[in-house]
Amino acid sequence: MTTVKHQGFKVENVAKGKADWYCFTDLCKGCGLCIVKCPKKCLKWSKEVGIYQTPAVEPNPEECIGCGTCALVCPDSAIKVNKK
Amino acid sequence: MIQTLDVNPDLAKAQNAEAGASKFCPGCGHGMILKTLAHTLDDLELQEKAVFGCDIGCSLLSWNYMNVDSVQTHHGRTTPVIYGVTRANPGTIGIAYMGDGGGLAIGSQHLVNAAVRGENMLIVLANNTNYGMTGGQMAPTTMPGQKTETTPYGRDCEVTGKPAKGAEMVASIVDPNKAYVARASVSNLRSLRKTFTKALKNVEKGGFSFVEVLSICPLNWITNNEGTWDRLKTMEEFFDVKEFVQREGLE
Repeated sequence: MTTVKHQGFKVENVAKGKADWYCFTDLCKGCGLCIVKCPKKCLKWSKEVGIYQTPAVEPNPEECIGCGTCALVCPDSAIKVNKK
Repeated sequence: MIQTLDVNPDLAKAQNAEAGASKFCPGCGHGMILKTLAHTLDDLELQEKAVFGCDIGCSLLSWNYMNVDSVQTHHGRTTPVIYGVTRANPGTIGIAYMGDGGGLAIGSQHLVNAAVRGENMLIVLANNTNYGMTGGQMAPTTMPGQKTETTPYGRDCEVTGKPAKGAEMVASIVDPNKAYVARASVSNLRSLRKTFTKALKNVEKGGFSFVEVLSICPLNWITNNEGTWDRLKTMEEFFDVKEFVQREGLE
């Protein structure tokens, strides 16, 4: 099985430095469902674009608590929250 | 800044990591249901034993989504194909995946007969209240007053009759000693995972499981992200989200 490298961007040290937040822009389709589901309402549209050239999402690192709700709800598994 | 990342997405082992982005529209509920199903297969270590069949309609776009043996059939025939597989190879975990068109309209006779006979399989029916692939026409599950392509003034129950409720129908005809029938929703994926766990455990014991999942279709509903979740809330008020039949000893 070959390993596939993904394109994306990283928001370091969210949740007071307890986690790193990743968005895979070759998977994100920009549906925005995670923005509504975020319990802290800290996700917003990003300047980076996803696979369909629509805006991806990014969190405000000061408000994000690293709960992983966005990663759970994403239909395309485009978000990853890596707890340190 | 977009760069090549050295981490991989959180995919289940039962998900196809090489397929890249799924073929569904942005915000489609199928992605959430299949992701949860794949994680449940991982939890119960059933990936090697499972056979996944997808129906026609939007659900056929899942043909390369799963990393399990897959077959694609037409017009509601997923149910007979999958129970044919489980009858020929006892011990196989047969999963038939279909939409509300495939299960409750063109394939309803197969669903009814499989439920009455208690075939050993899991049926997952994604209900998004319209025919998504052909452009959002009225389906049997379209709610009263809902606007679709073919009901532009809202569904009039005087003319078109009442919406079909799949889980209630199946619950009334199954054998309660060997069946699991439930309705879940993509608004709560942790609860959906528990529902799939119970359903798959029932299939392992030789029973018949039916799970109807209330799903979302932002493109045909013409809703934005907030409107989509609001519409799903309306659906949960109309369709009861609960377990209808649960055999004893299922945890």
